[in-house]
Amino acid sequence: MRSSLRLLIAALLFVAGAAAPVGGQPPPKPPVADDPKGIEFYERKIRPLFTEHCGKCHSADAAAGKKLKGGLRLDSRDGVLTGGDSGPALVPHKPADSLLVKAIKYDGEVKMPPAGKLPDAALADVEAWVTMGAPGLPAGTAAKKQVGMSVEDGRKFWAYKHVTVNPDRKGGGGSEPIDAFIRAKLAEKGLKPASPADKATLVRRLYFDLIGLPPTPEQIDEFVKDTKPDAYEKLVDKLLASPQFGERWGRHWLDVARYADSVTLRGFVYKQAWRYRDYVIDSFNADVPFDRFIREQLAGDLLPAATPADRARQLVATTFLQLGNTNLEEQDKKQLRMDVVDEQLDVITKGFLAQTVTCARCHDHKFDPIPTKDYYALAGILRNVKAMEHANVSAWVEVPLPVPADEDERLKKHEAAVAALEAKIKAAKGPAMMAKGVLAVKDLPGVVVDDAAATKVGEWQPSTHSGTYIGDGYVHDQADRKGEKTLTFHPDAIPPGRYEVRLAYSSGGSRSDAAPVTVFSADGEKTVPVNMKKAPPIDGRFVSLGEFRFEKDGQCHVIISNEGTTGHVTADAVVFLPLDKQEAGKPAGVKPPPDAVKAMEAELKKLQEAGPKRPKAMGVTEEKTIEDTKVHVRGSVHNQTEPAPRGFLQVATAGPMPKLPATQSGRKELADWIASESNPLTARVFVNRAWHWLFGAGLVRTVDNFGTTGETPSHPELLDHLAAQFTADGWSVKKLVRRIVLSETYKQSATGDTKSDADNRLFGRANRRRLDAECVRDAVLTVSGQLDPTAGGPAFPDSLAADYGYKADPPRRSVYLPQFRNALPEMLEAFDAADPSTVTGKRNTSTVAQQALFFLNHPFPRGQAKHAAAKLLAEKLADDDARITRAYRMTLGREPTAGERAAAAKFLAASGDPPAAWADVFQALFATPDFRFID
Amino acid sequence: MLPLSRRQWLANTGCGFGALAFAGLASANGPAKADSPLSPKKPHFAPKAKRVIFLFMQGGVSHVDSFDRKPRLDTDDGKQFAFDDARVLANTGMKGSSQRVMKPLWKFAQHGRCGRWASDLFPEVAKKVDDLCFVHSLHTEGVAHGPATLFLHCGSTTFVRPSMGAWVLYGLGSEGANLPGFVSIAPSTGNGGARNYGPAFLPAVYQGTPLGKAGGSADEMTVRNLKSAASVADQQKRLDLLRELTAEQMKRTPGEAEFEAVAQSYETAWAMQQYAPDALDLATETKDTKSAYGIGEKTTDTFGRQCLMARRLCERGVRFVQVTYGDGSANPAWDQHSNLAKHGDHARAVDRPIAALLADLKQRGLLEDTLVWWGGEFGRTPYAEKNGTGRDHNPGGFTVWLAGGGVKPGFAFGATDEFGAAAVENKVHMHDLHATILHQLGLDHEKLTYKYAGRDFRLTDVHGRVVKDILA
Repeated sequence: MRSSLRLLIAALLFVAGAAAPVGGQPPPKPPVADDPKGIEFYERKIRPLFTEHCGKCHSADAAAGKKLKGGLRLDSRDGVLTGGDSGPALVPHKPADSLLVKAIKYDGEVKMPPAGKLPDAALADVEAWVTMGAPGLPAGTAAKKQVGMSVEDGRKFWAYKHVTVNPDRKGGGGSEPIDAFIRAKLAEKGLKPASPADKATLVRRLYFDLIGLPPTPEQIDEFVKDTKPDAYEKLVDKLLASPQFGERWGRHWLDVARYADSVTLRGFVYKQAWRYRDYVIDSFNADVPFDRFIREQLAGDLLPAATPADRARQLVATTFLQLGNTNLEEQDKKQLRMDVVDEQLDVITKGFLAQTVTCARCHDHKFDPIPTKDYYALAGILRNVKAMEHANVSAWVEVPLPVPADEDERLKKHEAAVAALEAKIKAAKGPAMMAKGVLAVKDLPGVVVDDAAATKVGEWQPSTHSGTYIGDGYVHDQADRKGEKTLTFHPDAIPPGRYEVRLAYSSGGSRSDAAPVTVFSADGEKTVPVNMKKAPPIDGRFVSLGEFRFEKDGQCHVIISNEGTTGHVTADAVVFLPLDKQEAGKPAGVKPPPDAVKAMEAELKKLQEAGPKRPKAMGVTEEKTIEDTKVHVRGSVHNQTEPAPRGFLQVATAGPMPKLPATQSGRKELADWIASESNPLTARVFVNRAWHWLFGAGLVRTVDNFGTTGETPSHPELLDHLAAQFTADGWSVKKLVRRIVLSETYKQSATGDTKSDADNRLFGRANRRRLDAECVRDAVLTVSGQLDPTAGGPAFPDSLAADYGYKADPPRRSVYLPQFRNALPEMLEAFDAADPSTVTGKRNTSTVAQQALFFLNHPFPRGQAKHAAAKLLAEKLADDDARITRAYRMTLGREPTAGERAAAAKFLAASGDPPAAWADVFQALFATPDFRFID
Repeated sequence: MLPLSRRQWLANTGCGFGALAFAGLASANGPAKADSPLSPKKPHFAPKAKRVIFLFMQGGVSHVDSFDRKPRLDTDDGKQFAFDDARVLANTGMKGSSQRVMKPLWKFAQHGRCGRWASDLFPEVAKKVDDLCFVHSLHTEGVAHGPATLFLHCGSTTFVRPSMGAWVLYGLGSEGANLPGFVSIAPSTGNGGARNYGPAFLPAVYQGTPLGKAGGSADEMTVRNLKSAASVADQQKRLDLLRELTAEQMKRTPGEAEFEAVAQSYETAWAMQQYAPDALDLATETKDTKSAYGIGEKTTDTFGRQCLMARRLCERGVRFVQVTYGDGSANPAWDQHSNLAKHGDHARAVDRPIAALLADLKQRGLLEDTLVWWGGEFGRTPYAEKNGTGRDHNPGGFTVWLAGGGVKPGFAFGATDEFGAAAVENKVHMHDLHATILHQLGLDHEKLTYKYAGRDFRLTDVHGRVVKDILA
C-alpha cells in the first residue's frame, strides 16, 4: 500500500517536473511524505546542517535582516518547493533533478555553500533526504520576491505619461512661453527674475555655450556697439550657422555616447572611431533631425540610403553601438556577448530615454517599472546584432564603406598593383629560398629558433628523412603519447614590435592534419591548427601563423603540442619576421633578406602606405541567426528560464507590443519606438539635456535618470512645452537651442537674489558655471593665437597600436584630441572631461590641487602664455596701461578693475624683462577663477 | 553633487583666500580642514588599521611554488590528471581536461616559531612568517589579466567601478592634506591602467595619485606637475601675482564659494609642492635603512625604493599606498606561461625590499595599525600550461598574505585541494578579502555606499563577508 502510493506520487511528480519549465508555471505542490522516521531524519541531520551552513542567507532570519540571497529560503516547505530566483530548490524523490543537490555537490553554475564544499557524509545525507521526498520541513511561506513599481503604476508616474500641452496654459503672459512658465513659478514663491546680463557678459556666455570658444575683443565690440533691436538674434543665428557649433554640441553628444578612441584593456586603438566623431559633429552642424539621428545610430545599416555617401554616413553612425569599453579578454564568450549587449542597452536607454534599464539584468528593477523580462526583450534585439568577432582576445567588427565609382576604380587598380608586386617578390624570393634541400639557420631572414633549440617535453625523434629541412634536421613526435609532448620555441630576445611568425615543418601523408600551434604574444595567445599533411604553402617550408606584437620583456614563444592529434606532429623551425621598418635588419639575430627582395618589399610597403585605402567603419552587422532570448536568472548566461520575446519597455509603449520581424534583429523597430512622438521619454530627455547644457542644470537635474530615483522636473509644464515644440519643429536641435537662448530667462544675469532659492531650481538668475575642460583649453589656445582650426579627420597616426603613454598635444580644438581611455589628454582629464567609458549627461566639476599644479607647472599654460605675450607685444598699443586693458579683454572678455590694473602695473614695473613679465601675467590670468567660470 | 557640497562647506567655514599660513602648511602635513571632502571621517566602528600598503605582484605569483606547499606535486610530477582548468572551462564549458602535473621549482621548509611552510623562492620573506597571516583559499573572477586585475582593484571585471583606495579615501578621508590620500606607486599602464586607481563615479578628489609607472625610472616616481621648470624665486613671484589677481577678482564677486575653492586649490598645490618632494625624497634615510631595502643594488634598487617610499608616505598620513611590481605589458612580470624559472628573477627583485619593509614598519611601531597586503590578481596552475615549461592563470585558488593591522600573525587560513588547483576549505572570495580589509579600517562594506545612477553602489557589489577567523 505504502510503496504503491510512493510510486504514484513519484509518477505524478515526474509529470509535474517535466511540465514545469515548459509552462513557466510554478510546479504544483505535491504532498510530502512525512513519516516519523523522515521527520526524525530531517530534525537530526538536515535541519542542523541547513541552519549552520545555509541559515545565514536562506532563512526567515536572513529575510528579516534583508540578507536573503537568491530569493531562496531553506527553512520552510514553500520556501524550498517554490524556490528562489532559479526556481524550485528541489524535486522531492529526485536528487538528480534537484538544484539544491547539484549546488552542494558543486556540480554546475551555483556552488553552495560558498565558503567550501560540505563533507561527503553531509552530501549523502541531503541526497538521501531528497530521495525520501524531503520530509519534515515546517510549513511556512516562501520568500517574498522583491518587485519594483508595477508597470501599471508606472504609467501614472510623470515620466511615462504622455507629453501633454494644455493650449490654454502657455504659462500666461509674455511673448515666449519659456519666460512665462519660469516667471509664473517665481511669482508663486514671491520671487522676481534677475535683471538682464550686460551685453559683454551675455556675448561671452553665448559664444561659449554655442561654439565653445571665447569671443575676441573685436567680436565683443561688434555686438556691444550694435544697438539694433535684432543684434542679439542675428548673433545667435551667426553662431548657430558656424561650423564650430557642431564641434561644441557634438562634444556634448559624444559625452553621452561614451565616445573613445581606444579600449582600456590592452589599450587597443579604434582606428576608425574618428569617423563617428565627425559624423556627430557634421550632424549637429547640418541640423539633422534628432529622430533621424537616433535611427541612424541604432540602425543606419538597415535604413535605405539615397547615395553611397549617405550609406557611408549611416554605417558610420552605428559606431555608436560599438564604443563600449569592452572586456575583449573575457574568456567566457557567451558571457561576453551578453556583456556587450548590456553595455549597448545602457547607452541606448540612458542616452535616449534616461532610464537605468540595466538594473533589471539580474532582477526586476528595484525601483522603476522595468521587469527583467523587459530587459531581455530589449536584449534579444541587440543579441541579434553582430558587434564582435570572438577569439581569445575578441575584436570589434569593422565594415567596409561604400565609395563612389571612380574611387572604387582607383582602389581596384591599386589593389591589383599591390598584388602584382607581391607576386613579384614571391617569385624573387623563390630561388633564394630553395623549396627543397637543406638550409642553414644563418641563411634565413628574421629571428630563427631551430627545432634543436626548442625546449622539449616528452620524446621527440630527430630526423633528416625528407631531405628538406633547416639546420641539422627536424623532429617528430613518433605519433605516440598524445597529449604528453610539447615543443617550446623561445627566441633569446627579440626587439619589441610586430612580426610575422612562421613555422617550418615536414609534411607528408602520415602527418597530423591539425597540430595545435600556439603563439604567445602581447596580443594574448592564439592557437593555429596546422595541417601537416599539406605541403607548407610558403617557399615549400613554412606556414604563416599570423602577425603578432611582442613587447619588451613580454611573452614571446611558440608551443607545439601533440594533444588531440592523430598522425605525426613535426617541427623544423620557428621564424619571427619583423614587419616594422625600423626593426628590419637592425639588431643582432635579425638577418636581412636579400637586397633585391628588400628593395621590392620597401616599394611594396611604400605603395601600401601611399596608395588609397578602402575606408572602413566600426559598424555592426546582423547576426546570421535571428532569435529571441530568454530571461537569464541573476544575469547568468548559464541559467536561463522563460522566453522573452523581443520588444520594448512596456511602461513606455502605448497599445500592444509590436511584433518584430523574424528576419531582422528588430533594431529598426527599436529605433522607431524611441524616435517617436508617442514615446513619452525621448523628446523630454533631449530637451532637458539641451537645457542642462545651456543653463548648467536641467529642468530635471538628474539628466540621465528619469526613473523614480531621479528628480522630478522643476517645471513640468515647461518641459512638456519644449518637448512638444521640439517634435513639432521636426526634431530640429538648432531651433530648440535658438528658442532657449532667445528667452529672457537665458539672458538674465548671474547676480541678484541668491539666498531665497540658493540652488536656483527656479532659474530666477543665470548660474555661474565652470567651463568644460575643452572650453578652458580651447580658450587658452584662442588667447595665445595658436588654435589650429582644422576640422575632422583621424586623431592619431595609423601606425599606432596601443594607447599607452600616448602623448601628442596638437593645438587643435580639444574635440579632435584622441580620447584614449588609458591616456586622456592631461588637461582634459584634470578638468573633468567625461569619462569615456560611461554615459555622461552631466559632468563633474571638481576643484582639486592637481588642476592648480597643472596651471602652475605644466609646460602647456606656460608655453601658451608666452605666445599670448608675444602676440600682445606685437600689437601697436600706447603703453602698459593699454596693454593691461587689452590682456584682460583677450583673456576675460572685460576691462580690468582699478585694483586689477594697479596689481598688474605694479608687477610689470618691477620686472626688467617685459616678454617674461607679460608671460607671467597671462599665465596668472589663465589660472584665475574668472578664466574658467562664465556668468 | 560635488559643487553643491563644496559650496556648502566653503560657505560654512568661510576660509577666505590667504587665510592659510603658507609657512605652517609647508612644514607639516596635518589633516584636511574640517568639512573638506578629504577631512578625516569617523569610521563605522573602531578600526584596527589606519592605513593599507598593498604590494601588488602583477601577473600572478605561483602559490604552489611559494607559500602553498603541495607534496603531491613532487610525488606525481609529470603525471596526467583531470583538472577543471579555468580557461578551458570558460572557453568550452568543458570540465576535467587532462593536464600534466609539474612539481615546484623551489624547495619548501618550515619557518619561524609558527612553523609555516614557505619555499626558498622568497628566502627573506620566509623569515618573517611569524608576522604573516596567510590566506590559502583565495579565489577570484577573471581568467585573463585585465579583467582579474580590475576585479582585484575595483571588484568588477567589466564595469567601471571605483578603486578600493578611492572607496577607503571616500570613507575615511585623509590624515595628511598636503599629500594625496591615495597613492599608487609605479602602477601598470596596462590591464586596466588608470581605472585600477580611478574614482569612477566617486568625486574626483578620491582618485588615486600615480607616482611614476611600472617599468619607469626612479626619478619619475613623483606627483604629476609637482616640479616647476622655474626658479623658486620666479615661482614665488608668479604665485604672488596670481594671489593678487585672484583677490581682486573676488572683490568683484564677494562670497563666491567656487572662487574661494579655486584660490584654495592653489594654496594646497603650493603646500604640496613644498611638502611632497621631501616626503618622496629618500636621501634623508640612513645608509643602513637604504641598504636593508636593497637600494643601490641592481636587482633590488627599484622595488626597494618603492617600498621605502611607501613607508614614508604611511608615516605622513597617506591612507592607502599601493606598490606595484609589474610592467605595462599585456603579460606582466609574474606571468610565466613558460620558463617558470623566471619567477626567481622577480622574487629576487622584491624579496629583500618586502622583508625590510615589514621589519621597518615593525621597528617603528607602524605595523600595528598598518595593514600590509601581498598578492597578485590570481595564482597559477599546479600543472604545466599546454604541457610546456610554465603555468597558466589560476583564479580558482591561490594565496595572499596579510600582516599587521589587526590580523592574526603566524597564522594560516583556508586551503586548496591536494594539488593546489582550487580553493576548497574555508574559501575566501576576493569580495570577502575586500570586505575584510574595509572592516579592519573600521568600515562596514555594506554601509560604505555611494549613490550613482539611481542606485547605491558598494565595493563588494551585493557580495562579500568579513573573514572573522583571521582577525586577531
